Amino acid sequence: MDNDYFSIDAILAENQKIQCTFKLDIPDMGHLGGGNERDIKALSKAPIPIWLAYILLYSDWADFSIPQPFGARVRNALNAEPKSVKLSGLVGQGGHWYGFGKMIMDILSDEQANEMSELLIKAFKGRLVEVIDQAQHFAALGGSGGGGSSISGDSALSFREGLDGAERELFALAQESVKMTKRWYEGNDRARR
Amino acid sequence: MSLPQSLRVSVTPLELELIACEQLVEIVPLISMEKTAFISGAYGPLRPPSKSKVPLWMAINLKLKKKCHIVPPEWLTVDFLQERLSRETSQPQFSKLPFRFAEISKVVLDVASDDVPNADKIRSLLKDLREARQAKSREGLQQIDHSELSLPNLCSMEINEIRPVFVQSMGLLSQLVREPENRAGDV
Repeated sequence: MDNDYFSIDAILAENQKIQCTFKLDIPDMGHLGGGNERDIKALSKAPIPIWLAYILLYSDWADFSIPQPFGARVRNALNAEPKSVKLSGLVGQGGHWYGFGKMIMDILSDEQANEMSELLIKAFKGRLVEVIDQAQHFAALGGSGGGGSSISGDSALSFREGLDGAERELFALAQESVKMTKRWYEGNDRARR
Repeated sequence: MSLPQSLRVSVTPLELELIACEQLVEIVPLISMEKTAFISGAYGPLRPPSKSKVPLWMAINLKLKKKCHIVPPEWLTVDFLQERLSRETSQPQFSKLPFRFAEISKVVLDVASDDVPNADKIRSLLKDLREARQAKSREGLQQIDHSELSLPNLCSMEINEIRPVFVQSMGLLSQLVREPENRAGDV
C-alpha cells in the first residue's frame, strides 16, 4: 500500500502494467516490447510495468492513459453500488486495487489525482462496513455458511471473492479480534484459577 | 517479529482482565488477617465481619478458598444496568459505564455469582448492553475518517475489539487522502 521500500504489497502493486504511448523514437530497443520491430517508434503503444513507467513518464519520453481498472466503466459501477464491484478481478494477482490506484494517483496531475483520491476513498468507505459485517458474521459462525447482514447468500459470497488485498487483510483482522473477544466472553475460567 | 498478527496489533482480552484485576473491590472477609504488604501495596487488615477493600485478584483468590464474600460494585445491579440499557437503546451516544465494566462484571459473575443478587438477570442485561453498544460502534465505522474518530464512553474491552480494524483502515485511508500540503507540493 504505502511506498515503503520493504513492503511486499507495494512491490506487487508496482508490477501492474499501464498503457504508455511513446513520444519519441527509441532506436534498437524494439526487442524489449517483444515485437519484431527494430526500433520503438514514436506514438507506438506498449503496456509498461509501473516501476519502469516512472522513469519514462518523468523524463517525458512517454504518456500514459488511466488504466482500465479505474476507467469510466468501473467508476460508474462504483458510483452505482460499491459493494457489487469485484475489485480483485480488476487487477489480478492478489488484487492490490487500492495500492495500484495510489500509485497512479501519485503520478497524475493535481486535478485528476484529487478525483482519483475521491474515487478510492468513496469505494473504500462504501465497502468497509460490509467487509467488517461479514467478518463478524463468520467469526460468530466459526466456520462455513453464507449470508451477511445487509446483503445475503450469493451476493455475499461474490462480494468476498471480490475483496481487494487490503480489504482481505482487514477482514482477517476483524475476524480474529471478534473471535478472540467472543472466546473470552463465553469462556468460564473458574477452572483456570 | 515472530508474534502472530493478532498479538502485534492489540492486547488480548485476558491481558485486559489481568489489568482490571488490580482494581479495588469490597469484600466481607470470613477470616482475619493482619495488614500484609504486596508488590502493589499493603492491604488489610481483614477483621470479620467488617468490610475491607482489596484488589480484585485477591478477592477472587480468597473467594475461591471460601474465605470471603465479594460485595458487588454499586453499578453491578439490576436497577443500574436496566437504566443504562434503556438509555443505550434510546440515545445515539454511548452511555457512561465504568471503563472496565466488562472485565470486572465477568470475573465477579464467574467467580462469585452467589454473592450477586439476580445474577442471571444481570448476565442477560450485560449481554443486551454489549449488543446495543456493538451496533453503535458499527455505526462509528461508517463515519470513519482518515484523521480522527470520536466515540466517547467506549469501554476498554470494546476499544480492544475494534482497535485492529480501525487502526488499519484509518492507516489505509490516510494513504488514499490527498492532503492540501501534498497538493501544493506536487507538480
